[in-house]
Amino acid sequence: MRYVIDALIVISLFFALAGVVGMLRMPDTFSRMQSATNITTLGVLGVIVGAILYTVFVLHNYEMTVKLAIIGVFYIVTNPISGHALAKGAYKHGVRPEKEMEVNRYEEDLGE
Amino acid sequence: MSELLFFAICFLALALTLCYRLWRGPSVADRAIAADCVDMLTDMALILFALYSHRGIFLDIALVTAVLGFIGSTFIAKYLEGKL
Amino acid sequence: MKIDKERIELKKARFPAVISTAIACFLFWLLITGQLVMLLEGEPSWQVLVAGVLVSTGVALFSAKFFIHSNPFYIWHPKRLAAGLFYCICVFPWELIKANWDMARRAFSPKLPINPGIVKIPVELESDYGLMALANSITLTPGTITMEVTEQDGRNYFYVHWIDVTADGEEGTQAICGRMQKWLRRVWK
Repeated sequence: MRYVIDALIVISLFFALAGVVGMLRMPDTFSRMQSATNITTLGVLGVIVGAILYTVFVLHNYEMTVKLAIIGVFYIVTNPISGHALAKGAYKHGVRPEKEMEVNRYEEDLGE
Repeated sequence: MSELLFFAICFLALALTLCYRLWRGPSVADRAIAADCVDMLTDMALILFALYSHRGIFLDIALVTAVLGFIGSTFIAKYLEGKL
Repeated sequence: MKIDKERIELKKARFPAVISTAIACFLFWLLITGQLVMLLEGEPSWQVLVAGVLVSTGVALFSAKFFIHSNPFYIWHPKRLAAGLFYCICVFPWELIKANWDMARRAFSPKLPINPGIVKIPVELESDYGLMALANSITLTPGTITMEVTEQDGRNYFYVHWIDVTADGEEGTQAICGRMQKWLRRVWK
């Protein structure tokens, strides 16, 4: 069981590393936001699932299990809301990518 | 046992790397996203440290940090949109 | 005129809505005070339970009208609940892992193969909760972010920022959220 937990945490570490590298390399704000979702989904969930397994099978401390489950559900419910609000707010604030986008339906419909 | 501490240090190193984007972000939105991600990575380090030291009180701190990060980034987004 | 109609509907759905919200609040109270484990072991603290009932009823009295507008026990139908659980356990994590792997590959590859753009896709769902669930699922999968929901000519449209634009319109819907929408339609209309 210890090896399963270690493997889950290493997977989550890999995806967090991918998100950080993406955030440092991507050219514009919205692409960086996509890489940030990489951190906030699997980079978080791997650790939480591993920690739940650890508290159940190694520590036998079920109150910690319940708290970890609450943290995980809270992350899943609230992350898309703040990401969506930040994307919309950045667009309304005037953030545009330097290179022209492939398709931009939003600008066409917002102008009318 | 000590590999949990090692993983926690790895997460903290990733958070420190992300501080470059926090310092150097060209726009406000970049900084807000980077701050949100730094908050999350620190949270993960906190959870791993709670498992390492067998203390459930750190999980409460992690929950409060998650709530505060969500409220903060949502308010920054509302301010950027011009509705606050 | 419209406001009066809404008020009448609120009054009608009020009592079951309060009970439904209060049950959800009480479950959350049980989880966060650690009483659920004690209840399973047979040693609950009755003072905490009574306080939880009082507080969750009070909260539900004030906040039920924001959460539920009609048919409060809609989600407790067994068929819908089973479809929702299957969506949460099997369908959505698979999409999440696929999209995560794709995004990680893009971030690590030296040429940075991205092609960003904002597309407008039509969706079949109509109710508020269904739209919310689909928009949140799209935002949670890396590579796509929902930016706004609009309604035109009786159909709902999403504006989605996509990291690798390959299609627009109906084909975009199939490429971004085809399977998720198919399963969510069984839960919410």
